[in-house]
Order: sequence, then structure tokens, then C-alpha cells
Amino acid sequence: MTVLELREVKRHFGGVKAVDGVSLKVASGQVTGLIGPNGSGKSTLVNLIAGVLAVGEGDITLDGKSLIKLTADEVARCGVARTFQNIRLLPEASVLDNVVIGFYRHERSPLYASLLGLPSSRRETRELREQGRALLARFGLAEYEQVPAGGLAYGYQRRVEMARAVASAPQVLLLDEPVAGMNDVEARSLGQIFAQLAREGMAVLVIEHNTRFVAELCSQVHVLDGGRLIAHGSPQEVMRDPAVVAAYLGG
Amino acid sequence: MMEFLRANQPVFDFFLLTLGFAYSQQVVLRAGVFSLASAAFSCLGAYGCAYLVVKAGLPVAAGIGLGALIGGLASYLVSLPLARLRGVYQAIATLALVELMVALALYAEPITGGAVGFNNIPKHVGTTELLIAVLVVIYLLHAQSISRIGRGFDALRQDEYVAASLGVSSRREHTLAFISSGLIGGLFGALQSMYAYNVEPNQYGFGYMVTTLAAIVLGGRRSLLGPILGSAIMILLPEVARPLAEYRQIVVGVILMIVVVLTPQGLADTFLAWLQHRRARDLAPMATQPPGGRA
Repeated sequence: MTVLELREVKRHFGGVKAVDGVSLKVASGQVTGLIGPNGSGKSTLVNLIAGVLAVGEGDITLDGKSLIKLTADEVARCGVARTFQNIRLLPEASVLDNVVIGFYRHERSPLYASLLGLPSSRRETRELREQGRALLARFGLAEYEQVPAGGLAYGYQRRVEMARAVASAPQVLLLDEPVAGMNDVEARSLGQIFAQLAREGMAVLVIEHNTRFVAELCSQVHVLDGGRLIAHGSPQEVMRDPAVVAAYLGG
Repeated sequence: MMEFLRANQPVFDFFLLTLGFAYSQQVVLRAGVFSLASAAFSCLGAYGCAYLVVKAGLPVAAGIGLGALIGGLASYLVSLPLARLRGVYQAIATLALVELMVALALYAEPITGGAVGFNNIPKHVGTTELLIAVLVVIYLLHAQSISRIGRGFDALRQDEYVAASLGVSSRREHTLAFISSGLIGGLFGALQSMYAYNVEPNQYGFGYMVTTLAAIVLGGRRSLLGPILGSAIMILLPEVARPLAEYRQIVVGVILMIVVVLTPQGLADTFLAWLQHRRARDLAPMATQPPGGRA
């Protein structure tokens, strides 16, 4: 079922057509891939969906509701979570606190309860920390919960970022180059987590360079080049497409 | 101990007041807001309370409460334009506000007494009242810090993009930070006016800002322990160094510089981070190795 839909989305920076009329659908329950060479507009597209950049023309809808007038935090509250191309953690905070902040949009304590430190607010904090620990266990991070996130090794930092995005229980999860700089073993173990999240009903959009990783993981793949979609379909179809081959080999 | 405290009671009272001002400054910094406007809110609270109690004849408690509310209201109004700014622009804009407030206090002579100050205020506040106010503020700030609001503050301070990507509204949280700062600043301004017999414009100028900021830089920006340590140093160091006579300022300055260079996070935050690090190391000795042992 289509959750996220882009219709003729355009965004130009001066004369550069970073995203030039992209239409695509992201369905719940599967991992959708978005690949393309450097500078093809992948990250711009993620930032447009997440509300970090303003859409020039076209529309982006979540369950039929338009997102393009919303700010980044409003988009997040609608249920779109993301990771960043360059890992962004809260470096001073512990691993556990980095994940607990992911629950933010589901917190229900009223303002006065938070301000006065009423038991309901304290209980919520305690419960979230418990849920956070459960998530850390799922991502193989249980023993690092007290470590300041900035001090972790790269691969672990990636996982903390994923765990945080998953904590917000999004409808749509945008992963911007989630396995960049990882070896195949690490990439595959993360891929299994993404597949599992999709099976649980999440719509996952993976933006990647690594075509092999995408081919293994995704049921649908879109290929972006020069701000336009040049192909889409199953990984096998896409990889055979002459336009895709030309784009990747610089034809 | 008690004897020492009694002998140094004015110093202790001054410490409590400074601590209150420092918390007003810290709460905005914690949320990633570079506001220096606490002095302005305290100025409003002090003159507001003095005027309401001495000239309008309100009960002292009501005057102090209203003083805090005036600070809170002013901070809300100030946040409307200034919460949109970031970093050094925010600092400059709020600095201008402080200067503006001092100038207003100088010129609004019928209300403030101008450069001579607002004098002959009966003393209604002593150590006990100051201590109670500090404890209440610490409790409320603690409650805030472990709640949803505190989590939002921490996220915004460390990375605004991440915070937004998780649904944290910087507009809402920064407004809350401003209001908290204004309420605390106004409260301690009001308490000071009821404590010190008089209020002068220059109490809420550059010196106020330097003292509170130094207290936070010395103590720490994150923990509630930070301002306590920092204010204690800022108040005690000049007292302890008194025998040094004319060299006092130099020695105090040098000590402050050494502390800041050695612990840029502040004494309290460095200490707490060290504790956390030790606990984490005991739990996860392999934390800094890559997963699976492969690079």
C-alpha cells in the first residue's frame, strides 16, 4: 500500500536542477531503493521529503496529506523518520539518551506535569528508558547504553542512529546511505534489520550508492540521474537497463 | 561550620543570589539559546517588585511573585523576535536588550530613581527566603531536565537538525527556555530588591552578565551542580584572595583562566562526565572497538 507519494517534485538551486520532476511511490511493508551516481539528487530528495528543504514545484503526500508546507519537525511528527548521510548523534548524551529522544513525538505528559515533575511525567521517563533499553538490545547495543555516543566506533554510531529513528515508530523511514563505509558483513546484518522493520509494516526508503546492497534488499528500485528518474522496477530489471548502465559507467 | 556561616552570612546570601541569576542564564544555554538577557529580566523583576511593594503598597510576597511574572512576561515577548535568531546574533541582540534596560532604568527617574537608584526599601528577605527560593528553583529545573522538555533542550543544544528530525519544535522549546529564564531572573531580581535596601541600574549591566556567564563556564553548562560550583568560586575566590590586596584581581583572573583552560566543559560537568565514563567502561570495556572486531 502506498504511504508516501511524490508527484512531479522539483527543486532548483539557481540554474542547477537538483531534482527535476521526480514522481515515485513508497509502499508500506517493503524496502524501496533509490540509487544514483554522485550528484544525482538523492540527498536533495531526502531533504525535500523530510522538510529540511522547501519543495519548488510538485507535491509530496503522506497517506494523502500534503507535507510540502510543513517544517522539518512537523514532518517528523507526522511519522517520517530519517537518518543522515553523515552520522548525526547527540555526541555528549549517552547511547541510551540518544535513543530515548527518538520517542519524543510519542510522549504524552502534559506541559504542567513536566514542569512540576509530577509522578506521571517521571513514570513516562522511566518507561521510555525501559523501551529504549529493549531497542538497544535489538540493535546489539545493550552493553553500551552508558557510553557517550560521540565516543563509539563508527559502525556502532550508525546503529545508534538507526535505533533512534526506529524509536520514533515512523510510518516512513528514510535511510540516507545507511551502510556507507561499512564492510559486507556489517551491511548485511543491518539489511536484515531493515527487512524486518518492513515486514512489521514500515515503509522503508533506502538511498544508496552500494548497488549490490540495494539489489539484495529491495523489492523496488528507482534510479536517479541528473535530478530525474531514469528507471524503476525490480533490482534485476533496473540493473539491466541500458540507461542505468550508462549513467553508472559515465556513458 | 555554623559560626563560619554566620560570620560570612552576607557572602553566603550573595552566593545564593548569584546562583539564582546563574540558573536563569543556564536554562537558556541548555536549550541551545545564546541569550544574555537574564540581566534585563532581573532588572525588570527588581524594579517591578520594589515599585509594587514600596510605592503601590502590595504585600511583599505578592510583589516578589509579580516581579517573577514580569520577568517571565518580558521574556516571552522578547522570545517572539529573538528565538528565531541563532548563536552570536542572538547574543548581540540580547546584549542590546540589557543595555537598553539599563538606559531605561536610568531615564525613568519617577519610577526607578534614575542613577541614584531606588532607595529606602525595607529589608524583607534574608538567608532563609533566598535558600528556599534556590531550592525551589533547583527542584523545578531538575523536574524539567528529566522530562520531555529537558530532552528536547538537550537535543536542540547538541544538534538542531537531529532534534527537528525527531519532531522537536525549536520554536516551542526555545520559547519555554526563554520563559523559564525570565521567571527565574525576575524572581531573583525581586528577591534582591527586597534584600539589599536599594536597587541601582548598574547592578543589572555588564558585571551581572560577566559574573553569571563565568559561573556557568567555570561550573558547567549542563548539570545543575555546575552553577553551584561556579557561583561559589566566583563569590569565594575574591574573598579568599582579599589578603593579596592590589594583586587580587590579577590572581583571581589567572586562576579563572587556568580552570577554564584545563576543564573547558566546566568543573562539575567534567567531573560528572568522568563518572559516566568510568561507569560505561566498567559495563562495556570494548566500547571503542568496531563491531565484529573488523574495521
